[in-house]
Amino acid sequence: MCTLGAHDNLSESLPSLSMDRELLSYKGAKPLFAVTALLTVIQGVCIIGQAALLGRIVSGLFSGGQIASVRSDLLLFFVVLLLRYFTVLVIKQACYRFAERTSANLRKKFLKQLFASGPELARKEGTGSLVALALEGVAQTRSYLELFIPKMAANGVIPLLILGFVFWKDRMSGIILLLTMPVLIIFMILLGLAAQKRMDDRWASYRVLSNHFIDSLRGLPTLYYLGISKRHKKTIERVSDKYRSMTMGTLRLAFLSSFALDFFTMLSIAFVAVALGIRLIDGHILLEPALIVLILSPEYFLPVRELGQDYHATLDGKEAARRLNAYAASKGSNEVTQQSVQNKMKWNEQACVVLNGCDAVHEGAHKKALEGISVSFSGFEKVGIIGASGAGKSTFIDLVGGFIEPNSGSIKINEIPGRFTSDQWRNQVTYIPQHPYLFSTSLRGNIAFYKPEASDQEILRAVRAAGLEDLIRRLPNGIDERIGSGGRPLSGGQEQRVALARAFLCERPILLLDEPTAHLDIETEYELKQPMLRLFEHKLVLLATHRLHWMEQMDRIVVVRDGRIVETGTPDELIKKNGVYHAMVRAQLGGI
Amino acid sequence: MNEWLTPSLKKHWRGLLLAAVLSLFALLCAAGLLFTSGYLISKAALRPENILMIYVPIVAVRTFGTFRAVFNYAGRLASHNTILKILSEMRAHLYEKLEPSALYIRSKYKTGKILSALSDDIEHLQDLFLRTILPCCCGLIIYAAWIAVLGFFDLRFACVMVLYLMLLVVAFPLVSLIRMRHHYQRIARSRHELYEQLTDAVLGAADWMMSGRQNQFLRHYEQLENETRQEERAVSSFRKRRDFIAQVLIGICVIGLVVWSGNMSHTGALQPTLIAAFALVIFSVAEAFVPLSEAVERVPQYERALARLKEIEAPAQHESHRSCTSQALPKGPLTIDVSHVSFRYTPNSDWAVHDVSLHLKPGAKLALIGRSGAGKSTLAHLIYGNLKPDAGEVTLNGLSTQLLGSNRSRQFSVLSQNPHLFDTSVLNNLTLGSPEATFDEAVAAAKEVGLHQLIEQLPNGYHTQMHEAGAIFSGGEQERVALARTLLRDTPVVILDEPTVGLDPITERALLQKIFDTLEGKTLIWVTHHLIGAEQMDHILFMEHGRAMMQGTHEQLLQNSSRYSKLYALDVPVRLRKSIIE
Repeated sequence: MCTLGAHDNLSESLPSLSMDRELLSYKGAKPLFAVTALLTVIQGVCIIGQAALLGRIVSGLFSGGQIASVRSDLLLFFVVLLLRYFTVLVIKQACYRFAERTSANLRKKFLKQLFASGPELARKEGTGSLVALALEGVAQTRSYLELFIPKMAANGVIPLLILGFVFWKDRMSGIILLLTMPVLIIFMILLGLAAQKRMDDRWASYRVLSNHFIDSLRGLPTLYYLGISKRHKKTIERVSDKYRSMTMGTLRLAFLSSFALDFFTMLSIAFVAVALGIRLIDGHILLEPALIVLILSPEYFLPVRELGQDYHATLDGKEAARRLNAYAASKGSNEVTQQSVQNKMKWNEQACVVLNGCDAVHEGAHKKALEGISVSFSGFEKVGIIGASGAGKSTFIDLVGGFIEPNSGSIKINEIPGRFTSDQWRNQVTYIPQHPYLFSTSLRGNIAFYKPEASDQEILRAVRAAGLEDLIRRLPNGIDERIGSGGRPLSGGQEQRVALARAFLCERPILLLDEPTAHLDIETEYELKQPMLRLFEHKLVLLATHRLHWMEQMDRIVVVRDGRIVETGTPDELIKKNGVYHAMVRAQLGGI
Repeated sequence: MNEWLTPSLKKHWRGLLLAAVLSLFALLCAAGLLFTSGYLISKAALRPENILMIYVPIVAVRTFGTFRAVFNYAGRLASHNTILKILSEMRAHLYEKLEPSALYIRSKYKTGKILSALSDDIEHLQDLFLRTILPCCCGLIIYAAWIAVLGFFDLRFACVMVLYLMLLVVAFPLVSLIRMRHHYQRIARSRHELYEQLTDAVLGAADWMMSGRQNQFLRHYEQLENETRQEERAVSSFRKRRDFIAQVLIGICVIGLVVWSGNMSHTGALQPTLIAAFALVIFSVAEAFVPLSEAVERVPQYERALARLKEIEAPAQHESHRSCTSQALPKGPLTIDVSHVSFRYTPNSDWAVHDVSLHLKPGAKLALIGRSGAGKSTLAHLIYGNLKPDAGEVTLNGLSTQLLGSNRSRQFSVLSQNPHLFDTSVLNNLTLGSPEATFDEAVAAAKEVGLHQLIEQLPNGYHTQMHEAGAIFSGGEQERVALARTLLRDTPVVILDEPTVGLDPITERALLQKIFDTLEGKTLIWVTHHLIGAEQMDHILFMEHGRAMMQGTHEQLLQNSSRYSKLYALDVPVRLRKSIIE
């Protein structure tokens, strides 16, 4: 967050010369490389031509020539210069196009994957990180691809060309330039590594210090209540200053590697100049080749100097590309649609679904979130899913909702093997989580989300059924008021009513609810219960909840513990059984 | 200018100047190296008899070559040191501006995302100095110096150069700024829209999947993305073309210079040795002008950062209310009196609290119940004293809470939902509000709230950094840390502002039990949305639309109010309870 200059400046000094293998796997990368390499060769030739012409012009003028005598050289010089920068332009343009296309493809795959894995992914990775990856990550990937290819080509081609030419013109200067390069690179890398090590050693302190400010802002209410918020400004100043002196300590080392780059480049040019000067006096060399060599020597170092410039951007882009690729490659739920099955999966009063020995594992977790789930539901029964937090209630709802695939076990819908992730199943399911998501669009758009073609009358009926009329009457734009993140904020109860209206409108026969009322104040919960019970009518209802009052409306209760179903039965049966359910109820109702 | 920039500029102009001078010297050295090299070899080409004739340029070449790197290094260190100082002051300033509305920060800056954005904005401003002001200053000075050098030889040509280089120094940056501002606004707008769409996609993924509308979303998003992409492509092409034209302009400049110096030397006004010097130096001089466009092009970004920082509104009156006096409280057990208190957030809005009266004896336990927005939190804040009643008064032992000032935090502790655990050691987190507490006291408090064992299991026990332990502390345990803080502070009054929201019922029960046990004997004001535990309170105040709708003990309300008993049945279902007891 607040990495300050330290990190950027540090990494700038560590050019990566490693070739990224993944880069070549992108579509169109190989031809692009070939074209870029070719154009870079042209560019290199132009650089040499430019220097040769300028050397000739200047030495001509120096020995007393007229401007007229160098006119054609001047014109040629200009043409070569035009060609040089034109090739640069073409390379950049081509790489940009490639980078744009490739990053857009990665993003597309990523979004597809997002919809295939659904809320599970968001829960695991955090919403912010996913959104950032799709926006900033894709942009970073683009600039990485855009910058990386021409730089690699320039470094591979131009110094070699120039060096070869200089050797041909003047061996002595060629040797100076040749020797400088490895010294320069070795020093840069050594110093860069030293700085990196220093950075790593102090990493923990850096992290704390650099996060201190944002941490303080987040905790401001807490500081206020503790009566130390005013005093804390001093702490911020102190920590900030400590951070500064620490950063400066590292920067002194980190900047040394660009110092090395500067120092050796400049010194090498100075050496070339002085050596040329001395040999000119002796008459070992003429002015024209000397000038050409002198003009070329800064150009020789230019690609290396440019390599470090956007190193940070390159590094971020590489990482983003890696992550995007990982998503794009990860398995998506393949949707096989079997037409013949479609009608038979339809849910009605006689329908039934049987789960047999289903396991579910969250990606990356060691423990199974659900283990050996065997249970069946039929018709329009109302089933309560009960268990302590973390027992697997939500995972169970996710499984039936088709947000996750079981790792093993079988599912039979109306006695035909089926999958909860199939569209036929999903199209019959309404899912109401604890915090239903409100899209940043109008209230109407939110209600009609599952049924965008709904008529005004249908919507009105749903609004009434969910008890949203009062709210709509108070909104300045009525049902067209914008809600969601960019619009008017709604209370938890109102959000839940919007979800109910959605459910009423789309009239799907299966209803999954995940702790829909626990976070609401008790009066709102009471008011919501009536419309919810109406919604339950003629539906298969699976309700995961801690709230015991719902139990009285349930036909059957499934008790989950540690990912397993430990008890099922009617509420009365389970109470009589004096087992897990009984113990849970007792723990909740036992007087404080 | 602006409250963010002016003070730091005033305070640190010396540091900035030093940085600018050093960077300038670095540039001059680079130019000097090429100039003297050109001169050196031309002079040498004249075959002087003695090497001493070119001794001075040889030394100059070596000096410039060495010092370029030294100046650059020193310049970068100087500029970073100054910038980091400025940043740290800006942070303190931002904190100072946000602090008065501390309690409203969550509602005002919703997710904390804006807080990071603000903090990032300040980081952005460091680029203003490093990447815009410094290069611009250097570029302009090099420009002036270059013209002066030319003017020394030929005034007329210098005038031509002034005008010609203006293209690079003035026209290009200006055009870039205008073009970029236009593009930048559109990109910012469409990126914002993309951001919203993506958030909808990620958070609403379940709904998209269930509704089977994924493809519709993808199509729509692709279209939007396309528009942004076109805009970005335009920006990128503009930059590339601009750089191309700049290089061509430099090429023309080189040719002009060669022609001029050739002519000058022909007429004898210029030593022929200087032709090469000029031809070489122009490249590095021109290099100082090219970055100007890029530096200026960034201006819209700073403007946005500054605008957002400026947007931090002055706190509304009710938020900033702070009395300067901090009167000592009359001694003795604390009695709280609330008499006919009314409050509203703005003069035209509805009453948030209307005509509420209460009398709390020392050690009294009050539950404030009502739906969200009924005024229960507002009432708690009025008692705490950070809101000033529009009518009526809240007194502690006869002294208005308004006059308590900074003594307030010695009387009140607040246990709110989602207490913040700071990124420091567990121990520091426990003793946050009571720096004088000893290690043993902290351990005792941790034992009391039932966290001791958990903390002992952490890698470094009480000295474990919170970010390593963060994942281990569940919601209920975080609340326990806050409770331990409260215990260490040992204030006579504790306000519990819905501390158990979001916890599952069993954890909630256990936590409430722990709270009530450990805070026994203190005055408790408990804002709650459930009725679990209400039976343990002395007094229950039911609020609706800011008014006290009903009040009494749990038993009284259960008997007299059918509404209360209906609500209580949600928390404690009658039939279920009966069947358990049987």
